[in-house]
Amino acid sequence: MYDSFMIQADSLKNDVVNGETVGFQFIVRLANYRGIYLSLASGFYVSVDGVEYGEDVQTLEINGKAPRTMAEIARAGFEHWDLQTKAILHIRKPGGLEKGRHDIGYMPATLDGYGYNAHDEEWVTNPPKPGTRGGGKTHHICMFDLELQE
Amino acid sequence: MIKRSVSLYSYQQNEFFGWMDWKAQLREIALNLDGADGVEIINETTIPNYPCPPEAWIYEWRSELARWGLQAVTMDTFLDTLQFRDHVMTYREAGERIRYDLELAHKMGFRNMRLCHHTPYQAVEMNLDLAAKYDIIMTNECDVRSLDLGHMMGDSIESEIAFIERTKTKHYGLQIDMSQFQNKPCCIQLRYRFRTAGFSPERAAEAAEDIFQTFEKIGREATNEYIKEKYPEIAGGPFPALHMHANPIGRMYEIIPYLVHMHGKFYEMTEVPGKPGLYEDRALPYEEVFKHLKKSGYNGYISSEFEGQRSQQDMGLEGLIDEVDQVRKHQQMMKRFIEDKHNNTPF
Repeated sequence: MYDSFMIQADSLKNDVVNGETVGFQFIVRLANYRGIYLSLASGFYVSVDGVEYGEDVQTLEINGKAPRTMAEIARAGFEHWDLQTKAILHIRKPGGLEKGRHDIGYMPATLDGYGYNAHDEEWVTNPPKPGTRGGGKTHHICMFDLELQE
Repeated sequence: MIKRSVSLYSYQQNEFFGWMDWKAQLREIALNLDGADGVEIINETTIPNYPCPPEAWIYEWRSELARWGLQAVTMDTFLDTLQFRDHVMTYREAGERIRYDLELAHKMGFRNMRLCHHTPYQAVEMNLDLAAKYDIIMTNECDVRSLDLGHMMGDSIESEIAFIERTKTKHYGLQIDMSQFQNKPCCIQLRYRFRTAGFSPERAAEAAEDIFQTFEKIGREATNEYIKEKYPEIAGGPFPALHMHANPIGRMYEIIPYLVHMHGKFYEMTEVPGKPGLYEDRALPYEEVFKHLKKSGYNGYISSEFEGQRSQQDMGLEGLIDEVDQVRKHQQMMKRFIEDKHNNTPF
């Protein structure tokens, strides 16, 4: 679902803090027909030119708040990610990305569902690794050919 | 007389891209669907700042309904059991989530509220008095993914009915999704599946149609074997290539006394061969279902619930399907079957 649209095409750029390039960022959307409680976003599969970037280097900027780690996002049980809301996914990578085009692999991992399921208890301590299970309604890693913006 | 409604789920792509907001969606239903007057929503999609919309928005919602003469039929709700991440939601917490959805449904004027399947009776029972106070009927849905009708007709339907009889409630019932009766291949889904397996759009279209025509000739089991042999690229994966329940339509009568609402799920409206201007979804036996619904005396709503859009979102903006057009064609078809006086008696 939204295979071509989960990442905003013109949003890939380097993250610069106090003159230092600390990583890169792009704008992401929910791959769903509904919004979800923000806590249900458990991470994102991200690869750039074949290199994967795990949850430990991901922070999510959403709802007008500063970027939060995925552990902080997990505690946002009363905050909502509306379907229409765009979020900025930051990836820590000293030096950022090189100029030019990049192949981005992307798939959100969200734990939204339809009532109680047999896997519930396991997922409290061991949620599916991003990229291994569909988040929302997208069931495979989608590829994006994006140009790094200035 | 069966009444027609639209689930705003049908316009999810327009919502995602910001092309039609909820007001534009209500206007479309009121002006262009030839008598449809019911509205169904997805709570976490339509309601801004869910679960705490501004009071001013509630007034605006009711004002728009009144302006267009529309009825708030059903609000669809969800139960995310890992909302709190450090524990599985307790039944009391689940009951609380249902309670505040009931409060919202009441404020917005809805007559029904769809719960998620796999909602425990304890959480439902906590809310029966509130539902009665607001005169809202909570419903459990049998849809294609979980409690299929065949299963509901076994242990689960018995437990559903036992719950209704034990509590003597008038505020809990069932709803059916048309996907329960899908009995032919869904070509728009097959085309998507072929494209994600590497087929070009043209080859994907040819292969999907080949499967549909083969199915018509040799039936489901033989077509499954045909797919394994001719199209191994799509034979695996989490869902079978021929993903359909094909429940016997006549069994609907067993739950008719408890039927509150229906989802008119559909995937792709195409012109009926030889009948220009008339449309059908080839995967779904709508005509037969309507015959039985009319025979049963069902007089509730059936909502257009379009789901084909997600199968074309891999081809860029130019590949998107027009949701508004699809809903118009679906409503035209439902109106035709509802009003057809020659099709009132099941064969």
